Amino acid sequence: MRRPLVFVIHITAVTIILLGLGSCVSNPDSSGLEYMPDMYRTPSIEPYVDYGEIRGRENMKYKMALSALTPPSHTVPYYGGKKDSVDISFMLPYIRKANISFRETHGLYGFDFSLADEYALAAKDINPLVLTNKNSSEMLMKGKELYTAMCQHCHGEKGDGNGPMVLSGAYVGVPAYADRSSLSDGQIFYSIYYGKGMMGAHNSLVSKKEIWTLVHYVRQFQNPDYGKFDESGNPKTKAISDSSATKTK
Amino acid sequence: MKISNIQKIKRMPSKFIFVFSLLVFLSPSISFADGGGNFKAKCSSCHQPHKNGTGPKLFQARQKWSTGGAKEGSIYQWVNNWQTAAANDPYAAGVSKWSATAMNAFPELSKVQIDEILDWVDAQPDPATAGPANGAPVVDVDPASSEEGGNTWLWIILSTMFIIIILSVGGVRRQLKISTGESTPNDNLTYTEEFKAWAWKYRLPVGLGTLVIFLSLIVTLFQGLGRINVVENYQPSQPIAFPHDKHAGVNGIDCKYCHNSVTKSKSAGIPTVNVCMNCHKQINGEGKPYAAEVKKIYSAAGYDPTGSGKYTGNTKPILWNKVHVLPDHVYFNHSQHVVVGGIDCKQCHGDMTKMSEAVKVQPVEELNKIEGNIKLSKPTLTMGWCIECHGAKEVSLGDGKNGYYDEIHRRLRDNDKSLYKKYLKDGKVTVSELGGWECAKCHY
Repeated sequence: MRRPLVFVIHITAVTIILLGLGSCVSNPDSSGLEYMPDMYRTPSIEPYVDYGEIRGRENMKYKMALSALTPPSHTVPYYGGKKDSVDISFMLPYIRKANISFRETHGLYGFDFSLADEYALAAKDINPLVLTNKNSSEMLMKGKELYTAMCQHCHGEKGDGNGPMVLSGAYVGVPAYADRSSLSDGQIFYSIYYGKGMMGAHNSLVSKKEIWTLVHYVRQFQNPDYGKFDESGNPKTKAISDSSATKTK
Repeated sequence: MKISNIQKIKRMPSKFIFVFSLLVFLSPSISFADGGGNFKAKCSSCHQPHKNGTGPKLFQARQKWSTGGAKEGSIYQWVNNWQTAAANDPYAAGVSKWSATAMNAFPELSKVQIDEILDWVDAQPDPATAGPANGAPVVDVDPASSEEGGNTWLWIILSTMFIIIILSVGGVRRQLKISTGESTPNDNLTYTEEFKAWAWKYRLPVGLGTLVIFLSLIVTLFQGLGRINVVENYQPSQPIAFPHDKHAGVNGIDCKYCHNSVTKSKSAGIPTVNVCMNCHKQINGEGKPYAAEVKKIYSAAGYDPTGSGKYTGNTKPILWNKVHVLPDHVYFNHSQHVVVGGIDCKQCHGDMTKMSEAVKVQPVEELNKIEGNIKLSKPTLTMGWCIECHGAKEVSLGDGKNGYYDEIHRRLRDNDKSLYKKYLKDGKVTVSELGGWECAKCHY
């Protein structure tokens, strides 16, 4: 009789201790007990994980430092796949440099700078993505997707500068695209890439190809016929992106 | 006709009241009715009435210029072309050094129009002194979570005291019984021996009771073991009190703007501070309860908001705490789910447009309440939960969005006819039928 009773008492005690331990993880920043921590956390670096301590070893270099880092400057993205000259141009660095003042106004430390008025020079740049009768609808659909995610909250669904951020009163001073029809494609690209005025640089958010797609899309706000083709396949509008169309104000 | 007449009459008073109130409240505004429009069209992308932006604030700019010693009419020249004004007037030349960004020239604006604009600006009330009219309530951490722990300790102390009282009362009773001679005193009879004797006397009910307690403890043990590493409701503290409802809800920012690598990469990405600064360069929260939180962004971005605002280049990282932590032996890719699978963020993360506190792992019950979500039963972020969804999610084929599932579907159809027929019995194609339950999809 004595032995089973002892066994029962032991099991009970172990259970209570285990349950107690399980509920005693009071640190709210800890996600609780893990079965096998060495299978959960490995030394291979992943973004947003604190690598200050790995398997009991403390590494002060990584303690309180982010593991998600920006690539070194002058890193060239490689997209792979089939490549033509247009694809390669997207992998190469952007030919226009930021104005030297952009370091202080837009925080672009670590970029290449120029003393020339690169924004004016960018007016000459031509959109490498050519809208044709075939790719137009697909390109503009992709543009709409990007615009909804990246621009719409300030610039508004219709491009009138009345996005939800402006309507809620949080942000002011977003111009309408229709008021800026004198801008060339290259200048729109430059503004998205390095920012302009209150708008910040968006080169970390959208790739060069995506920016050029967006340039096509926002042209529709200035001209509803932009990107539409008649039955014979000719564009309904002459492209606005003439290099002669504008100079900076 | 009749109806429309009635409608007209009904509308009349409201129209009248509207016009009247406009006259009463905005009577000075009539003289500069065009000022507001011109300000919005030409100035507002750089200037604000009460806040410095790309350009300085314009409130009482004329007084500032005249008290600062500017020449008469120099400010109008400045608006038409700042370079001529800077050449003629030393005060204007000083103003041109305010920021490195040069002002556009507006030769089309006449003196009257500029006056209209500045009159309109001077009539604008300062939102900072007016107080937070529709200001956000302060985001605070729910105090209930910390009090819960205190309650448990209280219970433990109370029950310990209760047991001590029962034992001492029992001891007193025993001593009383011995002293009154009701029971014979036995020198060696301790509590344990007495308990053993009692248990042997009632061995059937005691044995059954022990068995029940033992089994229920075993069940509880395994349930407890099953809760290990279930991270539902895990809500770590964050360095900045970031309210998702203000950003994604009120201000309608798309999830993909800040978490922009979600369509391209395994990780959805925590926005880098330059993304925060795209809006917070202007939204400094002055006079609002969240001003201190915005200051943290400024110090991380190395931004000095005084004057025209300047980046110093002295940046430091914001150390966010990771909320959704998957073990290293699981491979999860956001872009595969969002782009190829077309899953909405809220299927796994809940409705963030209503989340005012810090991010947490939403329990599956909360996720099931959301309209359009696939209803699941296993706890969030467990393998059962993943598997369940892979078995339930239907794949849309041939919609031309991407060829990923089309190709897998084609191979299945061409290579294994019998399996293909078996899958088609329920009339839908799920992720699991196209390989979503293969171990190596997530573990390798």
